[in-house]
Amino acid sequence: MSRETSRSDPASLRRPELLVPALLGGLVVVYVLVPVVAFLSRTGTAGVVAGLSEPGAQTAIRNSLLTAPVATAVATVSGVPLAYVLARRSFPGKRLVESLVVLPLVLPPVVGGAMLLTAVGRFTPIGRVAAAAGLPLTGSLLGVVLAQTFVAAPFVVVTARAGFGAIDERLEHASRSLGYGPVATFRNVSLPLARGSIIAGVVLTFARAIGEFGATMMVAYNPRTMPTRIWVKFISGGIDEIVPVAVALLVVALVVLTAVQRVGRVSTVVDR
Amino acid sequence: MTLELDSVSHRYGGDLAVDDVSFGVDPGELVGVVGPSGCGKTTLVRAIAGHLHPTAGRVLLRGRDVTGDPPESRRIGLGFQESTLYPHMTVAENVAYGVAARDDGPERREGVVSEHLELVGLADEREAYPGSLSGGQRRRVELARALAPEPDLLVLDEPLSALDRALRTRLREEIDRLHRETGVTTLFVTHDQTDALALSDRLVVMARGRVAAVGTPRELYESPPTPFVASFLGRSTVVRGRLVGTSPPRVAIGDTELTVEGGNTDRSVGETVTCHARPRRLSVRSDDGTASDGDGTASDGDGTASDGDGTASDGNGTASDGNGTASDGNGTASDGDGTASDDGASSQSLRGEVLAVEDAGRRYNVRVAVASDEELLIERTAAPPSVGESVAVDFPDGSVTLFGTDFEASGDPEGGTAATPPVRRD
Repeated sequence: MSRETSRSDPASLRRPELLVPALLGGLVVVYVLVPVVAFLSRTGTAGVVAGLSEPGAQTAIRNSLLTAPVATAVATVSGVPLAYVLARRSFPGKRLVESLVVLPLVLPPVVGGAMLLTAVGRFTPIGRVAAAAGLPLTGSLLGVVLAQTFVAAPFVVVTARAGFGAIDERLEHASRSLGYGPVATFRNVSLPLARGSIIAGVVLTFARAIGEFGATMMVAYNPRTMPTRIWVKFISGGIDEIVPVAVALLVVALVVLTAVQRVGRVSTVVDR
Repeated sequence: MTLELDSVSHRYGGDLAVDDVSFGVDPGELVGVVGPSGCGKTTLVRAIAGHLHPTAGRVLLRGRDVTGDPPESRRIGLGFQESTLYPHMTVAENVAYGVAARDDGPERREGVVSEHLELVGLADEREAYPGSLSGGQRRRVELARALAPEPDLLVLDEPLSALDRALRTRLREEIDRLHRETGVTTLFVTHDQTDALALSDRLVVMARGRVAAVGTPRELYESPPTPFVASFLGRSTVVRGRLVGTSPPRVAIGDTELTVEGGNTDRSVGETVTCHARPRRLSVRSDDGTASDGDGTASDGDGTASDGDGTASDGNGTASDGNGTASDGNGTASDGDGTASDDGASSQSLRGEVLAVEDAGRRYNVRVAVASDEELLIERTAAPPSVGESVAVDFPDGSVTLFGTDFEASGDPEGGTAATPPVRRD
């Protein structure tokens, strides 16, 4: 932020009509900021570097960095087309599909994990077949991906759907009449115009996936991801034990967020 | 025939939006499709462009049935009410988009884009993004984009509706010019009868999903085939009477008779009929019971000037005398008419009393009570008669169309919003 905007901001906040929303908004900011600062103030005593050099911590970080992008990719590849269909077509049972899509948002993740277990657990038909094929769906990285996808997929669907819905359908009609088929029209018109929303959805999905704990714990307690390791460490050693991995998680999330937003901002400049 | 619709019908669920519509568009023609909102125009556009598969009927382009073909294979250029320019592409990229789909090399594409941007006078804006253009510029880029791939048919769906009046007139002229310069066969869809009358070679009037009439704008305006067309295409005024003779039809209104010169009717003598006319085609002259004073006769050709004289003559006998003498030659004819109507013979005018004069800025709306319970609306550009004055209303040749008694009944209720409903007294 430039000096100019930071100087004009307090001035604009002084205007009485913005006083109440600013005060209320400030509450939220403080409410988030205080715990974060309090938590991070322990980094000095907790020995972040030492904690992160433990093999268990490194495995957890590696596992998270492997699974969350895969879960995000799976959710995006299937969720964006679904979002497009939901934005463009009405069909019998559409309400049901829409409810199913947002169900993981209202479900406690632990319950979601339990549901996944009843579907793909070791003793279910699907789980048995997969395990026999050498791809166990529980207690494996695959299980982690399944849990993360289940919980995080709604974010990209809901956000992308809003993005597609905001595009005037006639822009697509014009593209068709200008000689492009449905796939080319989706690629040339719908996708670029919904790009900002899709990117926002991908970011939210990734953030949710990499922080996923409840469902992951049910489906794949092992191998450890960052969140499950944080839980295990907390049980055994308390707050200071979890600070190193928590900081790592925070850094990863921030880096991804910044990187993706940078890409997103490039697109908005082109959009103009 | 470039476009032919063969009994096209479309249903949305239970609602019949388009009902058995058939008409054609010849190469190079500009055909207007006009009707009140909700009459099925947009459904028709979507069926023609291929964005909708009609429930029944066929769409033919250049004689080939394309009803089941996707939009991308139809070679139709589309223009919409709202801008559909791609905000993530520059003006030049937008125009090139359709050309690239039918590619014949980037060099030729560049030429086609420049040519079409020049055609709409926006060559300087090629690197601009649509967001930085004005509404009128966007509209023109959109026309360029639709025309650049050289479509067989240009379909414009309410292209002027979202614009203010001045811009609207300018763009209407622009569309007219583009049509003349490119010769592209055009279908122009609108709910605005002014746009439709001004632009079209031929007009298709739609009402409630059906074709109400097809004809040239003047034909349909001057001699509307149905009451709906009459009231939708412009202001109307009507007077009811009993048909007492045919070829030319004569109508008894009160105790006078109106001869409908240049009109015809398939009604039989004795039936009640409605005489329909455009208020601006009628003229009104003062009628003090003796001779008419030149005003009425001259008003047809030279309305403003002689109207002024006419009014002056009422207040200032001497000054108007000279004038009166000059027009006496003309006056004699209407004198004859006047006297004749007293005898019950037929004439082309009706006597009445001025009920009200409303100043609408660029014209006066004069309401005249004729016969016992009929009221006529006459538009005058200047010097209206005064309220209470006895006047004669002249009906020039071809100004009257005869309908049955169903005039009000068949006017589309929605038509009233776009066109002035017929003026009648209860």
